[in-house]
Amino acid sequence: MELHMASIESARTFVDEKQAWNEAFDRLTEYLEGFALENRAHVSRMALEILDQARQLYRSDTSRSPVALTMELAQKRLADWLSTNLDPGTQSPSQILANGSVALLLSRVFRTAPDSFLAGPLPEELRQALREKLLVAGPDLNVSRMTPRHLDYGPMLGLARQTWHRWNIRALLVAILFWTGIYALFYWWLSNYFL
Amino acid sequence: MTPVPESFAVRRSLFVGLSGLLTAAGLVLLLIGYSDQHLFWEDYVVIGVFPLLFSQIAIGFVLALIGFYDRLRGGDPYHLMRRPWRKNEATSPLAATAIVVPVYNEDVARVSAAIANMWRSLEQTGQIEHFDFYICSDSNDADHWVEEECAWLSLCEKLNAFGKIFYRKRRHAINGKSGNVADFCRRWGKRYRYMIVLDADSVMAGPTLVRMVRAMEANPEVGILQTQPYMVLGTSLFRRVLQFSSHVYGGLFSQGCSMAQMSSGSYWGHNAIIRVAPFIEFCDLPTLPVPDRGKRHVLSHDTVEAALMRRAGYEVWIAYDEPGSWEEGPPNLSDMLTRDRRWCAGNLQHFWFLFARGIEMGSRLQIWIGLMAYLCSPLWLIFLVAGSFSAYFRIRFLTLSADPEDLGAATASGGELLFIITLALLFTPRLLGILTNLPRARQFGGVFHLLISALLENLLSIVLAPVLMIFHTLFVTLTLLGLQIKWTTQNRADTGLSFTHCLKLYGWLTVLGVVTQWFATVYLGSASWWLAPIFAGWILAPVLAWATSLGGLGLEAKSWGLFLTPEEMQPPPELKGLDTSAEETTTPLWTDALLCPYVHAVHLSMVRHHPTGNSEAPSDSLVTLRERLLREGPRALNPKEKLRLLWDAETVFWLHQELWGRPSSELHPSWLPLLRSCSSSPLLSNYLVQA
Repeated sequence: MELHMASIESARTFVDEKQAWNEAFDRLTEYLEGFALENRAHVSRMALEILDQARQLYRSDTSRSPVALTMELAQKRLADWLSTNLDPGTQSPSQILANGSVALLLSRVFRTAPDSFLAGPLPEELRQALREKLLVAGPDLNVSRMTPRHLDYGPMLGLARQTWHRWNIRALLVAILFWTGIYALFYWWLSNYFL
Repeated sequence: MTPVPESFAVRRSLFVGLSGLLTAAGLVLLLIGYSDQHLFWEDYVVIGVFPLLFSQIAIGFVLALIGFYDRLRGGDPYHLMRRPWRKNEATSPLAATAIVVPVYNEDVARVSAAIANMWRSLEQTGQIEHFDFYICSDSNDADHWVEEECAWLSLCEKLNAFGKIFYRKRRHAINGKSGNVADFCRRWGKRYRYMIVLDADSVMAGPTLVRMVRAMEANPEVGILQTQPYMVLGTSLFRRVLQFSSHVYGGLFSQGCSMAQMSSGSYWGHNAIIRVAPFIEFCDLPTLPVPDRGKRHVLSHDTVEAALMRRAGYEVWIAYDEPGSWEEGPPNLSDMLTRDRRWCAGNLQHFWFLFARGIEMGSRLQIWIGLMAYLCSPLWLIFLVAGSFSAYFRIRFLTLSADPEDLGAATASGGELLFIITLALLFTPRLLGILTNLPRARQFGGVFHLLISALLENLLSIVLAPVLMIFHTLFVTLTLLGLQIKWTTQNRADTGLSFTHCLKLYGWLTVLGVVTQWFATVYLGSASWWLAPIFAGWILAPVLAWATSLGGLGLEAKSWGLFLTPEEMQPPPELKGLDTSAEETTTPLWTDALLCPYVHAVHLSMVRHHPTGNSEAPSDSLVTLRERLLREGPRALNPKEKLRLLWDAETVFWLHQELWGRPSSELHPSWLPLLRSCSSSPLLSNYLVQA
């Protein structure tokens, strides 16, 4: 009976592991397809290669899930490959991956040289192109001080004084005289011919 | 030929004097109507409100008249764009100019297509090296943010414009659009002599942009040069009618305004060039002297900025006849009202600047006209109510007294003449607008189509005016009561309104129309016919709002040759490809920044990283938020939480690794289809990996 239970347990573990590895393969393929490589055979080749490496690691440490192991390997391989082809300096891993992937995108490696993705150093010409593709979202700051000037919202009296102060008195007087004449004429016309 | 002060004073005095004269004439006629009659208290209200209302009609009439005169004589010889510098225009040097495009949850594809068109148009002028573009985003929607980043990268790549087109996302969108522009000025303003401020729906032609810079270079005393943007790209009936009227009448008013105000012109906040140094030095918006801290920010910044620029001694001009400046109008009545509610709050705030010290008289006039644009609605409503009650009491008085002398006094009023004059003042500007466009009627589909379209546009304006009156009155009341008005995204898509929405929003106006018409018919008798257009507008409001929002009806009108505009007859290359609205996507886009390797990389490159080795441990709340996202799926987070995650580079990187590295049993099921579809993300196909 115990033997029977053990064999059932072992079969279940086998099925679970198989499912886990299937999931790892699917996840890895989906991830690699995200790089839009135009050579699907190369994607499958890379996926199998990384999966084999993950299986080997799994044999020595079965505590990790196949998905986690596989994806960790894939991302490490990507980071290493980008570091080899770029000159990352003191960038953090996230920066290397970010800047490297953008450079990859902009240099159109996925279209022009899909076979070289994750497969050893790129040709010098492509590496040079990759290094030149840096994102500049904004130019260097050239800081200015922009603060509101004092504005006196002033009482009505202040408004009148200020506004009139800025007026051309001569033009104002002429305008007032002219319009007084027009209004007077208008009044005269209304009183004589209309009212 | 620079403007001489005398000419300025004469024009100003003509404008104010004629407006005053017409208002006085109207008031006299009104008083004649009341002569020898018993006055009820409602009559005093009518007499009090009338000059304010009539002055606005008079101002509109005078501006149109001045504009018409200016057009007949071939333009203002003192205008900035007609000065001697134009003779050597082609050889004038240019200066570094930034084209600033503030965006806020806009249709990203539409904005980038417009930038691409402007870039190409500028390239054709051979002057592209003098211009840089800045997309300044205040978007608070995670999907929009991530899409904007991809669109920016795509633009730079497609146009080979790295280092020429920049993207800036503000973490805290303080003070709306004016804060966004001020943020640009603080960061990069010193690099440029000019900035051309656009709206997200603005488009300008390359030659126009170049000419504006040259105009500023040749006239160092000018601080702001505003172009007249014409509405384009409408498909809904509402938008097409608006763009037709903007083409037929808009230019005339701007020309009149420019001639009357000269160097004290308006600034409308977009499609204008600004001299950056004085703008930084003098035009930062002051806070309002109100006790509530949350209400101290100036909502409608443009008029105030123009006033501050004038106060600093710089001129503000309107280039009213420069072609190649466009914008989009609101697609339906509801969107126009949303926009108006914001503008109303902003314009009412300008009251403070009306009495501020040192503000130019021309600026005060602009502020006053802007204020009255909204205050007129409640005044008109008061006028109508008081006038109706007065009519009722008068009818009752006459019925009871039955004295032939009293009846004679009442009927010998100047009311009819005043009514005719009011109609003349209201419709003459429209008539002048049509007259000025008759020589180029072919651009509107021919004389017949121009006239029929104008007639229909007038009819629609008549029935919509009472609806606007009621809503503007509500907006004024809400603002005066201190209820908050938020800066919301302008909807620019002609997708139409549902009839249910229209019934909910405007149904009460139908009830109001039916009830008031019944009362008016019963108590005023035949006098109620004067109010018929108002009742008609209210009763038909839901149907009007719904029908005019329909794209199909707009296109049908177009096929009949109605409401055609020059841009529809001969589409300029700058508007090419901008008339397609964005496809609605059901899947979230922001998750691509966590999943899709390229989108993730683009986003990570744009947010600030901790320096190597100095990476601080994430706060407990951030750790909890990350786990929640993984366990409960992307829909579990609210917009602020999504933004918080996206702002943290380490979190974005960590989530990318965890989402790909965790078995499906440890993730929320909604992540699995997203992981599977990351290679077919619309961000890849539309922007990053285009064929």
